[in-house]
Amino acid sequence: MTESRALIDLSISEAAAAIRRSETSSVALTQATLARIKETEATLQAYAAVPAELALAAAERADRELAAGHDRGPLHGIPIAVKDNCYSKGIRTEVGSKVYAGFVPDYDATVVEKLYAAGAVVIGKTVCHEFSCGGSDPPTRSPWDLSRFPGGSSIGSGVALAARSAFGAIGTDTGGSVRIPASINNLVGMKATYGRVSAYGVVPLAWSLDHVGPMTRAVLDNALMLRAIAGHDPKDANSARAAVPDFAAGIDGGLPGARIGIDRGYFFYPGVVDSVRAAAEGVIEALAALGADIIEVNLPELALTRETLSTIRMVESASYHRRQIQEKGHLYSPGTRATLEIGQVVLATAYVAALRARERFRAAMKALFKRENLDALISPTIPVPAPLRADVWQPRDDMEDGETPTDGFVHHVYPANLSGQPAISAPAGFSPDGLPIGYSLIGRPFDEATLYRIAYAYERTQNWHERQPPQVYPTP
Amino acid sequence: MPRANQSAGLEKDTDALAQLAQWLQLKVAPEDLAALSKQLRVIDELEGDALQDYPPILRMDADWHD
Repeated sequence: MTESRALIDLSISEAAAAIRRSETSSVALTQATLARIKETEATLQAYAAVPAELALAAAERADRELAAGHDRGPLHGIPIAVKDNCYSKGIRTEVGSKVYAGFVPDYDATVVEKLYAAGAVVIGKTVCHEFSCGGSDPPTRSPWDLSRFPGGSSIGSGVALAARSAFGAIGTDTGGSVRIPASINNLVGMKATYGRVSAYGVVPLAWSLDHVGPMTRAVLDNALMLRAIAGHDPKDANSARAAVPDFAAGIDGGLPGARIGIDRGYFFYPGVVDSVRAAAEGVIEALAALGADIIEVNLPELALTRETLSTIRMVESASYHRRQIQEKGHLYSPGTRATLEIGQVVLATAYVAALRARERFRAAMKALFKRENLDALISPTIPVPAPLRADVWQPRDDMEDGETPTDGFVHHVYPANLSGQPAISAPAGFSPDGLPIGYSLIGRPFDEATLYRIAYAYERTQNWHERQPPQVYPTP
Repeated sequence: MPRANQSAGLEKDTDALAQLAQWLQLKVAPEDLAALSKQLRVIDELEGDALQDYPPILRMDADWHD
């Protein structure tokens, strides 16, 4: 039997193989993960709920099924964490808010249902910003540096993975909330094509921008998770009918003929700090060395993504929360409430104009991909490594226009939410002070497989993703 | 639009949003309303730019390959 500490370091694919070689079991993986949670939670506070007994029962069931020859695939018996905005039957779901205090759903979100169907063990519910918007201040801390911003709004999912207290995690991404914590925590995060993963049973932030996505420590693991959770869901009106391929098949196909665009004017604007710029350039050079064609492009429409997305988000959030705020407004934290209700003053005509602007942006993006025959656009995921927690909303000293770190985040991540294109963030290196840096690829709708193939090819050239945060193991 | 007029226009927009927020009994900070009026001005200017040619619906299509 592999030792507990070594178990929690395994990737999903490694753990799955070890189970099948009878070197470990789902129960052993689950016990090791629960022990790790116990070891780290007092400091990191990544979890909102840890239903240990349910998890161990699920692990025992997984082992019994495998012993009987019923193999549900690579997630069978693997402990996976789920963001606390996803309904989970019998497990407390509070969405980071007093409004949902003590709420226990009587049904599962489709993504949770699919995890169970794939044999996964739901190890716990991870902390999120209140209602997945940035107006609250969760207690979760970064294992890379306790004083640094740990990401958001899938904050607990990112920290749990980095701390080795889960093998994979579910996040949601309306304005970067899978990719930002992935970048900050040295992880792989996929915001798949809009509608690729059902959002049924997920408390919405903005229905036409919300995406559910997998977060992992390695690219192959992410591809395995996406296959398990993707697919058409008649219970979600926005669910896509696209077929779900085996994203892992052909992932090692290399980059012959890959065409990767780079809009330096937008994604390498002056807000990108030197360490991030150098790391992203390093990825681009490596991909070119692997055979990809790097094409300089210019998409002026990127400049208006923030205003367009913000208008849509504000109105859709206000619409969802209006009645609830009237009845339970005192239970919202003030910052969240302000963020969620300001959209009530946006005129309907402005909302429709923003929807039209989105379609114009999507059309421009599509024309660019067709004209240049692109497989992906590449960029740093965010312009800076994790800022100090106190600085996230403060103007940066190195920017003259009062730009905050949060402004930089949305500048880089909003375009893919607005267009609905798939976008992946993966490790690109580290800053001089040891903070992770991520890069992103934005792809064609329903072509996540190409993004995985490119990211996997790069991952094999280095070992950034294996580097662990200093807080993972307590100093002896 | 001359800068002075533009600034006055934004102030007028912000005042209108503040009145609406007050009527709806919302607790919204003045600086948030000022930022929102700037944002909406951008959207308003876009409307004059052939936006009517684009439908206000989200369409995810897979035909991005040649």
